[in-house]
Amino acid sequence: MSSTERAGVSRWLWLGPLLATMLFPFAWMLVVSLAPVSGGSLARALRGPWDLGHYRALFETAAINRYLVNSAVVALAVVALNVATAALAGWVLGRRRVPGERWWTLGIVATLMLPKQVLMIPLYLVLARLRLLDSYAALILPFAADAFSIFLVRQFVAALPPELEEAARVDGASDWLTFRRVVLPLLRPALAVVAIQSFLTNWNSFLFPLVFIDSDRLRTLPVGLALLSQTEHSVDWGFLMAGSTVASLPVLAVFVASQRHILSGLLAGAEK
Amino acid sequence: MAHREPPPPGTTNATAWLFLSPWIATFALFGLYPFAFSLWASFTDYSPVRAGGSRFVGLENYGRALVDPAFWSALGNTAVFVVGTIPFTTALALGLAVAVQPAFRGRTLFRVGFFMPSVVSVVVLSLIFKGLYATDGAINGLLAALGLPQPAWLNDPRTALPAIMVMDVWAASGYYMIILLAGLEAIPRELYDAARIEGASAWACFTRITLPLLRPTLLFVLVVNTVRSLQIFAEVFVMTRGGPLRSTNTVVYYLYEQAFYRFDLGYASAVAYLLFVVTLGLAFVQMRTLRTTPEAAR
Repeated sequence: MSSTERAGVSRWLWLGPLLATMLFPFAWMLVVSLAPVSGGSLARALRGPWDLGHYRALFETAAINRYLVNSAVVALAVVALNVATAALAGWVLGRRRVPGERWWTLGIVATLMLPKQVLMIPLYLVLARLRLLDSYAALILPFAADAFSIFLVRQFVAALPPELEEAARVDGASDWLTFRRVVLPLLRPALAVVAIQSFLTNWNSFLFPLVFIDSDRLRTLPVGLALLSQTEHSVDWGFLMAGSTVASLPVLAVFVASQRHILSGLLAGAEK
Repeated sequence: MAHREPPPPGTTNATAWLFLSPWIATFALFGLYPFAFSLWASFTDYSPVRAGGSRFVGLENYGRALVDPAFWSALGNTAVFVVGTIPFTTALALGLAVAVQPAFRGRTLFRVGFFMPSVVSVVVLSLIFKGLYATDGAINGLLAALGLPQPAWLNDPRTALPAIMVMDVWAASGYYMIILLAGLEAIPRELYDAARIEGASAWACFTRITLPLLRPTLLFVLVVNTVRSLQIFAEVFVMTRGGPLRSTNTVVYYLYEQAFYRFDLGYASAVAYLLFVVTLGLAFVQMRTLRTTPEAAR
């Protein structure tokens, strides 16, 4: 046994129990969601039997299906817009194509420091004036361009060699053609990070959908779950945990499938 | 100056502006404009449910906040939250980062596992912990088995806020672990090799090499976490609704109540600006006091 292997084993001995403790709440969620009668008690839930009754009840609740669809529509629309605005603006800023590029970039970094919650009431007032409250648009348009995403693409572009774009330009390609045919394929890794992070953030978004949406039929899943937990399903732990599991599955799937991207994307973001 | 630089040959500035315009439009309409509009609203008695226009009231809204005991108790709870969680979150994140940095079999499993709470909705995390903290929930079940007293957790004004704080440390540390990991990876390995040759202990390496060189990353983590913690809301909304006896009422929850239960939007705008100033001020003070120290020490 080499010394690194021995170090690995001893690490497992103390990190293993720590990881198990930290993941225990998720295990509780899953077990309670599968036990038909538990009252939220883990001991009773573990005794079984297990079935999918709570999930059946969940999807028979018409509202939940609507919440799921709303969450998906909003998250995917925001992701698409985010990727598009970040690619366009990131390329222009990364290639210093506009006068005062430094100031634009500084402006983007400054908005990163602005806590979004402080904008909750201002945004609410503006959306009210534009008559956009209580619509998909209220959950999509304000989040169509994200400062962090643009900054990430800008940094990525700045590190790309410009020769390919110059060659395309010499061949007489228009800016749009150069962007479509040359730049976009090169940007793919950065745009993947943007898409993943944007999906994770927006799927989980809570405060803005809570405040901007009034009608039940437009609610997203996190808001719907939170409100159900305070009304007719307040101590229905099996139902709530089934809903929580369903709400977590898309983000966990995206995360596990792309953990390399996410972890490296965060690493890149932290090094600014 | 940037505006004197000629554009690269063959580029048209018009297209560049066109490509920037979606971001500029979004930022102007949903960033700058609301920011300015609500600054105006904070000096009026604006309310969408009242007929007639809004009246200019000067600094009245700000004055009202400063004499409202509920505002001060919300600010106090938020301060307790910030001061009581950040040292633990940072220490745990740093410990985890150091533990999962070196190469060993299964390292990715630990990195992914510890990061997991950061990708799940705060509503889901809060619902889980509401269940765990229930008077007959899993935590009290464990305490009963050990023969220990079982607090009422979220139903007791003395334990409700600490209970939410414990959850936040659990939920947030994985995220900051990843950021600190980036800082650790940037420290040159040769420094540690040289220290080992000189006979330095692991602890000496940590305090003399890791901590000083990690200072910028730690500062970043501290500022980001402070800004985030000052905005704590979803946990409170889902778990306690600010209760019991307002013991978990935070500034953003107070803001939410004023704006959307009482529709006092002028007043709520003023509170939002106060929170903004506090946030900016704290971040500035942290950067000032912590950034200068390593240079002075060297």
